[in-house]
Amino acid sequence: MRAFAARHPIWSAILGAFALILLYLIFAIWPEWLVDGIGRKKVFLNALFNGITLGGLYFLVASGFTLIFGLMRNVNLAHGSLYLLGGYIGFFIADSTGLWLLAFPVAFIVVGVLGVFLQITVFRRMEGQDLRQTLVTIGISIVMADLMLWGVGGDFYNITPPRWLSGPFETGLVTSQRVRSSGEVVTSYLKYPSVRIVIFAASLVIGLAMWLVLNRTRIGMLIRAGVDDRDMLSATGARIQLVFVGVFFFGAGLAGLAGVVGATFQSAAPGEDIRFLLASLVVVIVGGMGSIPGAALGALLIGCAEQFGSVYFPTYAVVLTFLIMVAVLAFRPQGLLGRS
Amino acid sequence: MNAGVSTGTENALELRGMSKRFGALAAISDVELTVRPGERRAVLGSNGAGKTTLFNCITGDFPPSEGSIRFFGEDVTAFPAQERIRRGLRRTYQISLLFTGLSVIDNVYLACLGVSRGRFSFARARKSDALVASAEELIQTVNLWEARDTLVSNLSYGQQRQLEIAMALSGAPRFILFDEPAAGLSPTERRELIDILTGLPSHMGYIIIEHDMDVALRVSEYVTMMHNGRIFKEGKPAEIEEDPEVQALYLGGDDH
Amino acid sequence: MAMPEITDGGGARPSVRQEDRLWIERIPAPYWVAGVILLIIPAFASDFIMFQIFGWTFILGMIATSLMFLGGYGGMVSLAQMSFAGVAGYMVAIFGDSAIDTISMGWPWYITIPLALMIAVLFATLIGWLAVRTEGIYTIMITLAIAAAFFYFTRQNYDIFNGFQGFNSVFPPQLFGVDWRRPIPFYYLTLFWATVTYFAVLYVSRAPFGLALQGVRDNPRRMAALGFNVTAHRVAAYAFSALIAGMGGILLTWQSAQISPGTVGIQPAIDILIIAVVGGMRHPVGAFIGAFLYVILKTFAVDFLIAVGLSGDRFQLLIGLGFLLVVFFSEDGLLGLWEKLRASRNRDPLTGEVRQ
Repeated sequence: MRAFAARHPIWSAILGAFALILLYLIFAIWPEWLVDGIGRKKVFLNALFNGITLGGLYFLVASGFTLIFGLMRNVNLAHGSLYLLGGYIGFFIADSTGLWLLAFPVAFIVVGVLGVFLQITVFRRMEGQDLRQTLVTIGISIVMADLMLWGVGGDFYNITPPRWLSGPFETGLVTSQRVRSSGEVVTSYLKYPSVRIVIFAASLVIGLAMWLVLNRTRIGMLIRAGVDDRDMLSATGARIQLVFVGVFFFGAGLAGLAGVVGATFQSAAPGEDIRFLLASLVVVIVGGMGSIPGAALGALLIGCAEQFGSVYFPTYAVVLTFLIMVAVLAFRPQGLLGRS
Repeated sequence: MNAGVSTGTENALELRGMSKRFGALAAISDVELTVRPGERRAVLGSNGAGKTTLFNCITGDFPPSEGSIRFFGEDVTAFPAQERIRRGLRRTYQISLLFTGLSVIDNVYLACLGVSRGRFSFARARKSDALVASAEELIQTVNLWEARDTLVSNLSYGQQRQLEIAMALSGAPRFILFDEPAAGLSPTERRELIDILTGLPSHMGYIIIEHDMDVALRVSEYVTMMHNGRIFKEGKPAEIEEDPEVQALYLGGDDH
Repeated sequence: MAMPEITDGGGARPSVRQEDRLWIERIPAPYWVAGVILLIIPAFASDFIMFQIFGWTFILGMIATSLMFLGGYGGMVSLAQMSFAGVAGYMVAIFGDSAIDTISMGWPWYITIPLALMIAVLFATLIGWLAVRTEGIYTIMITLAIAAAFFYFTRQNYDIFNGFQGFNSVFPPQLFGVDWRRPIPFYYLTLFWATVTYFAVLYVSRAPFGLALQGVRDNPRRMAALGFNVTAHRVAAYAFSALIAGMGGILLTWQSAQISPGTVGIQPAIDILIIAVVGGMRHPVGAFIGAFLYVILKTFAVDFLIAVGLSGDRFQLLIGLGFLLVVFFSEDGLLGLWEKLRASRNRDPLTGEVRQ
C-alpha cells in the first residue's frame, strides 16, 4: 500500500478523496441540498449495500472462474451453467429437507465432482489446446442449459431463507432526521435484510480463506507457482494433475455454492447461467485475469456499478458495467490488479 | 528514408548508458557502444554475457531499462520495433523465428513487404512485381534458389540459417545485426557464409555475434568483448587475439 | 493455432508465381460442378428451399466466413461477428425504410447500404482495437462481453434502436423492377454475394495483406522485426471481417424483413462460432458447409427429434452435442475430418506409407 502511494501519488490522492466522500455519504446526516441533488439517503445506502452484497455473490462465482483460468489457462465458458446447476440443487435440497444450510455443502460437492469429471474426461485430453478447450466448454454449456431446461422447466425457483434469517437487520446507520412540529426529533435508521448481510460475511470469509490458503500453505504456493510459471510446476515433479483436479473441484464447487446464494438472493431460472457467466467475464477482465484480489475488486466495482446504475440511470444500467470494462481494456488491458 | 534527419556523417549506431534488467537480474549494464557507418564489428563473449539482450534492445524486441539508442543520428529509443526496421535496421535470430507454414519465397517476400509501402495491399502480387524480383534475387544471393518453393519446415537447419540472412538483407538495410549466423553450419556452409558477409556492399555495416573465432575474426574489422553484461575490451581482431586478459578468459583452452 | 499445410489455395503454394495458363483453365473441376449445380437449383427446388434453406445458408455462411477470416488467417476467434452484422442490419433499417417511420429516415439504398457498411467497419475497428490489446484466448472472452453489451444496448435504447421491438418491414430496394425478396431473385442475390465473399477471402489470403496477417498469426514478434505493425494488421483484419459480416447482416435483415435485439443476442453470436468451427476454419468453404448443416438441422431437427421420441424443443441439445462431437474428434472441424479421411485413403494399407 505504501509502495503504491509512493509510486502513484495522484492516484492515491484521488482514491483517498473518494474514500472520504464515501464515508461522509454513509455516516453523515444528509443536508437538504444533497437530498435535492441526488435523492434520499435511504435510496443511496440501499444501492450501496445491494451493490456490495451483489459484489460478494459475483466474487464467489468469478473467483472460481479466475482460479481455473489462472492455473490452467482454460476459459471455462460452462462456469455459468455450473452456477445455475448449483442453484437448482440448492433449491431442491432446501425444499425437500427444509434445511437451508444443507444446500450449501451438497451443491458444493455435487458441482465440484462434476467439475472433476469434466477435468478428467475433457480437459486433460486437450492439454495445451486453449482454444479447443474453450470451444468444448461452450458445447458443454449449451448441452447443460438444455438438459436443465428439460429437467426442471422454465420456472423461477427461489429459495426461502430460514426464519431466523428472514427478518431485517438494524444497521444503526441514520437515513434521515426530521424535526416534527411538536419539536420532537425523529431519526430513522436503515434496515437491511439479514440474509444478505450474512451471505456477504460468508463470502468475505471464503475470500479470506482462499487468500490464506494461497499465500500461507504449501499447496497454495504450488498453485501460485503454477499460475506464474506452468512449465516450472511440471518441472518440479509436483503431481500437477492432482493439483489441477483439486483446483477444478474447488473452482467448480464455488460456482455451485454461489448458485445457492444466487437462488436465495434472486432466483434460479434459464438465462441466469449466461448472466453470471458474463458477470464473471467482466469481473475478471476488470480485476485482472487469474488474480483472486483482482476478482474481489472487480466484483465489488461491477456489483456497485450495476446497483447504482439501476437506481440513478436505470435505462443504461447494464451498459454501465460494460463501459467500465471497455475503459479498463483501453487503459490497463491486463486488468486493474493483473500482471502485464 | 528520413534523409532530413540523417546527413550521413553521424555514427550508424550509438548506445549510451544502456541497461536491461529482468527483475533483479541485470542482463546488460551501462553499455556504451559507437559504430561508424559501414563498420563491421564482432561482439564476443561467453553465454550469458548479454549479447543477444543487447541485440533485442537495439532492435526494440524489448525496450532497455535505461539508456538511449541513436540510429544514424536519430534517437530511436522510444520507437517500436517496426519503426526501427523501416529506418534500415535489420537482424537475424539465433533461435529460428521463421514462418514454418510458408514457403521460402513467401518468407523472403514477407520480409521485403515489411519494409515496403504495400504492407496493407489487398491486390495480389504479379510476376513482374518489384518485390517479387527482389525476393528472388535475395534467395539467389544466399544459394537457396533450388529450395525456393519448399516449405520452411522441410528445410535443413543450415538452409534455415541462410534464409534468416536473406530476410535480413531485404529492403535497403543500412545496418544489420547477425546473431550467431554460423552456429550449427557445416564447414562448407561456413565458407559460403563468410563469402556472403564479406561480399556485402561496403556501406552496409553490421554487428555479428559469433562463437566461432575463426569466422568472427575474418568478417570483422573491430571486436568488442562482453562479460557479465558489460563491455570489457574493444580493439582490432589482432589486438584482441593477443590480449592476455582476453586469452585467459575466452581463448585459452576453449577450443569449440 | 499453427497451420502446417493447407490443401487448397492455401499457404503451401508460392503466392508470387503464377502459372501461364488462361485463368479459365486454372479453375479446378469441383468449382465447375458446384457452380453449375448452384446455378440450376432454382429450376427444380421449391420456394421454401431456395429462400429458407439456401438463402439462409449463404447469409450465415458469409457471416461465418468473416469469423473464419479472423480466426483462420488472423488467429483471433471473435464472438462479435454477429454484432458487426447486426450493426449493418440496424443501420439499413434506421437510415432506410421500415415500419417504424418515427426513426427510419427513408434514405435511398445507394446511400444507406454504403453508409451501413461503413458504420459496421468503424464499429469493428473500434472493437478490434480494444480486443487486440490482449492476446490469444482472451479475445474470445472480450468479444463475448462486447457482443452481450451490444445486445443489451439495443434492447435498452429506444431512441435509435427502438428497444425490444427493433424494426420490422425492412425490405430490399426494388432495383431493376425486381422484387428481390421473392424466392428466385433472393436466391441469386445471396448466391452472388456469397460467391463474391468466398473468392474475395481466398484472394486476400494470398495478397500481401492476407500473407502478412498469417505471418502475424504464426509469429507476431518476427513480423514486428520485419517492419510490420502487428497491431494495425490485426485491427485492419477486424475491419475487413466487418465488411463481410456487414453484407451478411444486411441480407439477413432483408430475408427476415426485420431486425431486433434477438438477432444480435448471445445465442446467435455463439451459433456463428459453432458454424465456423464445425465447418472448419482453414478454408472459407468450411463456413458454408457449417452454415448448410446448421440450417438443415434448424429446419428439420424438430421432425427428427419427434421421430426418435423426443420433444421438438430439444434442438439446442442436438446442436450442442453435435458441436461437442466435432470439436472432440477434429481440430479443424469437418474439413479436418475430411482431410484425415483422404490422408488415410492415400496411405497404403500394408506399409502405411503415403502413396504418390
